[in-house]
Amino acid sequence: MERTSVSKPRAWRDLGARVSMVVPAVLVYVALLVVPVIYAIYYSFTEYNGFPHRVPEFVGLDNYRTMFGSDDITGTMVVTAVVAVVGAVAVNLAALGLALLLRRTNRFNTFGRVVMFYPHVLSALVVGFLWQAILGPQGVVNTMLEKAGTDSLPFLSDPDWALWSMILVIVWSLFGVQLILYLAGLQAVPADLLEAARIDGASRWQTFRAVTWPSLASTVTVAVITSGISLLKTYDVVVSLTGGGPAGSTKTLAYSILAVSFPQRDIGLASAQAVLLIVAAAVLAITVLVLRRRAEDDAESIG
Amino acid sequence: MKKTLTSAATVRVAFVSLVSLGMLVPMYLLVVNAFKSQQEILANPFSPSFGTATFQYLADAWNNPDFSILKGYGVTIALVLCVNALAMAVCAPAAYVLARTPKPISRLLLFFFVAGMFIPTQVILVPVIFVLRGIGLMGTLPGLILFMTATTIPFTLFVFFGYIRVLPRSLDEAAAIDGAGRYRTLWRIILPLMRPIVATVFILNSLSVWNDFASPQMILGPGSGVYTVTTGVYAAVGQYSTDYTKVFPTLLLAVIPILVIFVVMQRHIMSGLAAGAVKG
Repeated sequence: MERTSVSKPRAWRDLGARVSMVVPAVLVYVALLVVPVIYAIYYSFTEYNGFPHRVPEFVGLDNYRTMFGSDDITGTMVVTAVVAVVGAVAVNLAALGLALLLRRTNRFNTFGRVVMFYPHVLSALVVGFLWQAILGPQGVVNTMLEKAGTDSLPFLSDPDWALWSMILVIVWSLFGVQLILYLAGLQAVPADLLEAARIDGASRWQTFRAVTWPSLASTVTVAVITSGISLLKTYDVVVSLTGGGPAGSTKTLAYSILAVSFPQRDIGLASAQAVLLIVAAAVLAITVLVLRRRAEDDAESIG
Repeated sequence: MKKTLTSAATVRVAFVSLVSLGMLVPMYLLVVNAFKSQQEILANPFSPSFGTATFQYLADAWNNPDFSILKGYGVTIALVLCVNALAMAVCAPAAYVLARTPKPISRLLLFFFVAGMFIPTQVILVPVIFVLRGIGLMGTLPGLILFMTATTIPFTLFVFFGYIRVLPRSLDEAAAIDGAGRYRTLWRIILPLMRPIVATVFILNSLSVWNDFASPQMILGPGSGVYTVTTGVYAAVGQYSTDYTKVFPTLLLAVIPILVIFVVMQRHIMSGLAAGAVKG
C-alpha cells in the first residue's frame, strides 16, 4: 500500500515525460503532412479557386470525371507511368550491372563508384538545365553534329524523342544511388556459397543465377519499387529540361499539378490529381511492405 | 584459362572507364564552358579555352541583380541547419520513447509516421500552402522550415528508432536507479551513443533540403524575394536557357560548394547512404 502511493506520482511523471517527448514530433508531422493530405482529399471533391474569402463548394466526383475525361491529364498519367516504370527498371538494371562489375574494392573501383554517384548530390533542377545545354537544339551535341556535317538530332524538340531523352537524364543522375544500395546488398551474399560455387566449377552466369541473384532478390524488388515511387513525383527535371514540352510529351502529373492546375487556380482539380498520385504511391508502398515482410520471414526461416 | 580471365578483366575496365567518362563529360562541359563567350561555346564546346578564358561571365553570374548567389548560399545553409536541428530535436525524444514502449502501441505510432515516407511531398504542396496561410506562415522562411522538417520526420524518426531499439535497456535502468528522468537519460546516456546515426541522418537530410526545388518555389514564391540556391538558379537561368554565358557560370557557381563537400566527405556520404538504406 505504502509502496504504490510512493511510486504512483513517479509513474505519472514518467508518463507525462513520455507523452511530452512524442508530442512535438506528432504535432509537426500531423500539421504539415497529415492535414495537407486530408485537405487534398477534401478539396478534390470541391470546386475552389483558393481565394481566402471563398468557400470550397462541394461538387462530388466532378474533378475526378474532369481528370479522367481530359486527354491532356490522362496524357500526363501515361507519361508519369512510363517515367516511373521504364525509369525504375533502367536505373536498377544499370545499378545492378555496374555493382557486379565494381564489387571488389580497389582504387579503380572506388573511383568508379564516386564518379557514378556524384550526380546525386546535384539538384535535379541543375541537372536538367545542364543537360538542356547539352541536348538542346543549340546544345553541345548538336553543335558537334553540325560541325561534323550531319543533321542535328531533336533530343528535346521532337515529342517522340523528348520523353526518352528525359528518362536518359533521370537514369544518368539517379542510378548511382541504387548502385550503392546494390553494393551493400552484395556484401550480404554469403561468401562460402560463392566459394563453393567456384570450387564446383560453376561459370560466372551460373554463380550469378544460383547464388547471387537469390540472395539479392528481395533487395532488387524493394529497390525497384522504391525508385518507382520516387520517380512518380518527377517534377524538377521536367521544369528545367523540357518545361513539359514539346506538345506536353514530357508533362508529368506532378508538373501538371504545380505548373498548370495550381496557377490556373483550379485547386479542386489539382487536389484530385494529388490524390491519384498519393494512391499510386500508397499501392506501391504497401507492395514494398508486404514484400519486405515476406523477405524477413524468409530470412528468418533460413537463418 | 588465365588468358580469358585477363581479357574479361580488360573488357570490364574498359566498360567501367567508358561509363565513368559518360558521367564526367557533362561536368567537364560545365567547367570548361563557364569561362567562354557564347561564340566560343557554340563553335567549340569541348575544347578548353586557355588563351581566351575569362572570369567575366562568372563575375556577371555572381553579381546577377536578379539573384545573389552568396545570399542563396546563406539562405540554403540556414535552411539546412534549421531543418536538421528541428527534425532531430523532435525526433530523438520521440524515437527514444517509442523504442522503449511496449510493442502494440509503438508499432502503431511508428507505422503512422513511416507511412509519411511514401507521401509524394511535391504533390501535397498545394494544400500545404493553405495550411501555412492558416497559421500565418505562408511565404516565410519559418513556414518553409516547418514544412521541410515535417517531410524529414518520417525518415529521421524511423532510423533513430531502429538505432535506439538495439541499445541495451540496462543503460536506461541504471540511469533510472540513479534517479535520472527520461529527459536526462536521453540527453546524458542515449544521445552520446547516437553520434554515428546522427551524422548519417544529417548528411542525408542536408542533401535533400539543399537540393529541394519545389517546396521553396511554392512556399516562398517569387514575391517573397528570398531565394534558395535552386529557386535562385531557376530565376537566373529559367528564361535565358539559350544564353550559355549565363547558364554555365550560374550552374557552376550553384554546384561548386556541394561538389567540394562531396569530394571531401565522399566516403561518409556514400557509406551513410548505404547504412541509412539498410536501416530504412
